[in-house]
Amino acid sequence: MRIPYWNISYGILIDTVALVAVIVFVFGLHGHWKRIRLGKVRIRSANVDHPGKIGPVFVYSLLKNGILGAKLYKKIFTGIAHGFLFWGMLVLALGTSLVVLNLLFGLPVFEGIFNRWFMSFFLDLAGLLALFGLLFFLVRRWFPPERLITPRERTGFGVQIGLLAAVIVTGFLVEAIRIASTGPDPFSFVGNFMAGWLPADALSVHRIFWWSHGLLCMAFIAYIPYSPMMHMVLVPTNTALADPRPGSKMGVIDFSSFDNDDDEEGAAEEMPTLGCSSLADFTRKRLLDFAACLWCGRCHEVCPAAITKKPLSPKGVMVTLAERLAAGEVEDATLIDDITEDAIFACTTCTACLEACPACINQPKTILKFRQNLVMEQSRIPELMAKAINSLEQRAHPFFGTGSGPKDWCKDLEVPLFATGETEYLLWIGCSVTYEERAQKIARAMVRILESAGVSYGILEESRCTGDPAKQMGNEFMFTELAQTNIDEFNELGVKKIITLCPHCYNSFDRHYPLLGGNYEVIPHSVFINRLISNDKLVLKNSLERICYHDPCYLGRRNLFFDEPREVIRKVGQLVEMPRSGAESFCCGGGGGNYWAEEVGDRINQVRSKEALDTGADRIATACPFCLLMLTDGAKKFTEEQKTFDIAELVAERLT
Amino acid sequence: MHITVLAKVVPDYEVPTADFELTDGRAHSRYTRMIGLYDENAIETGVQLKEAYGATLTIISYGKTQDVTVLRKAIAMGGDALHLVLGDADDPFVIAANLKMAIEQLGNVDLVLAGQQSADMDRGVVHSILAGMLDYPFLPQISTIKSEDGRWMVAQAHENGIRRLEFSGKGVLSITSSPKNVPRIPAVRSILAAKKKPVEKIDGIPGTPMPVAELSVEIPKMESVCEFLPLDDMAQTCKILLSKLREERYL
Repeated sequence: MRIPYWNISYGILIDTVALVAVIVFVFGLHGHWKRIRLGKVRIRSANVDHPGKIGPVFVYSLLKNGILGAKLYKKIFTGIAHGFLFWGMLVLALGTSLVVLNLLFGLPVFEGIFNRWFMSFFLDLAGLLALFGLLFFLVRRWFPPERLITPRERTGFGVQIGLLAAVIVTGFLVEAIRIASTGPDPFSFVGNFMAGWLPADALSVHRIFWWSHGLLCMAFIAYIPYSPMMHMVLVPTNTALADPRPGSKMGVIDFSSFDNDDDEEGAAEEMPTLGCSSLADFTRKRLLDFAACLWCGRCHEVCPAAITKKPLSPKGVMVTLAERLAAGEVEDATLIDDITEDAIFACTTCTACLEACPACINQPKTILKFRQNLVMEQSRIPELMAKAINSLEQRAHPFFGTGSGPKDWCKDLEVPLFATGETEYLLWIGCSVTYEERAQKIARAMVRILESAGVSYGILEESRCTGDPAKQMGNEFMFTELAQTNIDEFNELGVKKIITLCPHCYNSFDRHYPLLGGNYEVIPHSVFINRLISNDKLVLKNSLERICYHDPCYLGRRNLFFDEPREVIRKVGQLVEMPRSGAESFCCGGGGGNYWAEEVGDRINQVRSKEALDTGADRIATACPFCLLMLTDGAKKFTEEQKTFDIAELVAERLT
Repeated sequence: MHITVLAKVVPDYEVPTADFELTDGRAHSRYTRMIGLYDENAIETGVQLKEAYGATLTIISYGKTQDVTVLRKAIAMGGDALHLVLGDADDPFVIAANLKMAIEQLGNVDLVLAGQQSADMDRGVVHSILAGMLDYPFLPQISTIKSEDGRWMVAQAHENGIRRLEFSGKGVLSITSSPKNVPRIPAVRSILAAKKKPVEKIDGIPGTPMPVAELSVEIPKMESVCEFLPLDDMAQTCKILLSKLREERYL
């Protein structure tokens, strides 16, 4: 049986050092909390009802992302190395805790099968795997990938990697010397192996290694809050508190309390700062995001703006914020200018960064908060976006300079108006489909499909935007005004079910309108078409045509409709996938108001169109008018043929 | 320094040709009403002068009570006060006479700015008639304004270049659009504050109409003609396109 503190005098002193280490650790932890609590509470938080939520903690997200680190395995080698290190160290920490319990309470951990398999074999295996993990990270710091060093690399890992490696190696040496002196222990296979290589007088340095091992452990623990290893605490905390629903989850702002006509002049001054211009304007959860960021650059790697050489790097934004937070510069209002207005408006709100982030950091929300401040407080917005906003204010749609009238899309068609108590579905046309000539064909195709399936549907007499472009461009006030107008009309008409042609409209109706009192059953047109096909309401002619499907960000990644559009495509042709598809899909470039942007760098829509055309597909299908318009334009660089179609167009032309 | 900007509420100036129709010789009432396109440039110019020189900025309009809702945007953009002369005349002389009355009531106006033309019939004559009535100099198509040593330094934008002018004293300037005076999106707290600002409503005067009778108003029918230009050299294609647009007098 093993004897704890074998060959060690006054071993209990290490526990005193441990106490000091814990005090230093807690002091550092308190420093983080002091900075994070400088954040303000949000204006109005969404009441999130989520399965497995206990108080503010999303338990499933904590287990999946915070403990198991599920997203880390999207990069398989990094994931495995991290798994080796994390689980290895956790098992070693458990083994050490059991030793302490043995000392304090005589817990029989050094006896029988448990001693052989857990305290000997398993702990050695854990140490070995942790060393492999450390080696991987050490090599990767020597030869860092682009994402780690852009815009700059986080320092401070070297000391902690060195400390951990020294802790494990000294631990093995202590074990090897003990085995060399007391006899072989085949279950402690690493120590046993090393014992055979030790010189005869190794026992003389056993105590030195033992104390070194203990003190290095304590140094590691004490140093955690002052190093990037603090992510061991911050990341699980962040994942536990991060709303696991997809998308940026912007919520809404209730302006009605600031807009009371009965108030005296100047009552609007009571309004808090809209959006964020300094760290102090962010909520505590956002500050936790910034503190938890490890600068791994996975967000940078998938960001369409960063990939196409635009001024935005989501990692760059996080790095700036993390550095300012660490320096305690929470009131500094030069933050936006440091990040730059160009970077803030280059975000397409595709949320690829959020999807990629292993720490569940909500980068798009931070960027949109800056936008809100620029637009609603400072009147700063790029010129084309300003024109779109102006048009929204004047005409309730953002398509300034359009050559189309509101009824052009249904010319020569007899489309019924929504009739209260008679019509089942409101077919919501939306602004892009109404005012962009190419997108008008979506509505015409959808009308044909609905007529063919005998669906009870109707449209509104007046065409209007949901307000989504205003929201994504940072003008929450205009979004709220437009949304309220729509909700009032829907409620007056008795609308209960809505079919949307645009995922941006779906997202607004489904995510944001309920927060303003508009509750409807909303169905994206691709999902509705799939439902009609499944219920044998539509009969289609299939073909051998190869059709490549582009996932619209607001349908797929933001609302998890991945399968339904694909099922529809399989009914009319042969589905082809792009290298980046599903949750890892690449944006068309039109989101976040960037449909109205003077694009710098490479054009996102051309990059995506090329990716689609490179599959060799006969056609590119999508289920969003903005994607249709962007990809139609992008493909023009590579082909003169009209290759891009909406899913409704493909279905309508194959109706029997 | 007291600056006034003349702002007119007009029907949507971007109604597509195919969708445009007249009733009683004027744009159909179903079109959304908004501040004239160039008038917004004039308001932006006025706000920038206010910010640069600490001027007082008064917005003056001639129209109906229901225009107030639209005109509040001018206050939200940075105007200090809104004066609305009530009336529905369409005659430039009558409108100018009413605006003159409102300006004289203010008493201490240094500069009068207005969009170079409103969007209803694009006649662009009210501000010049007003300048004549006020006996102020009139400078059309101004893109930038600065005050230096008590003199106004202005830039006049032409199709082929910029002409710089200076004058002192009072004046009426018609403002054209330029990258420097892109109308701002008002801040939310300004929009909310603007809703609560009182509006000075002034009863209009009959004025003396021009001795001109309107016989008819017609709008052209939309025609679609498609012509493909050669695309071997993009620069050359642009030149051809520009020359064709000029030939057809679209530019």
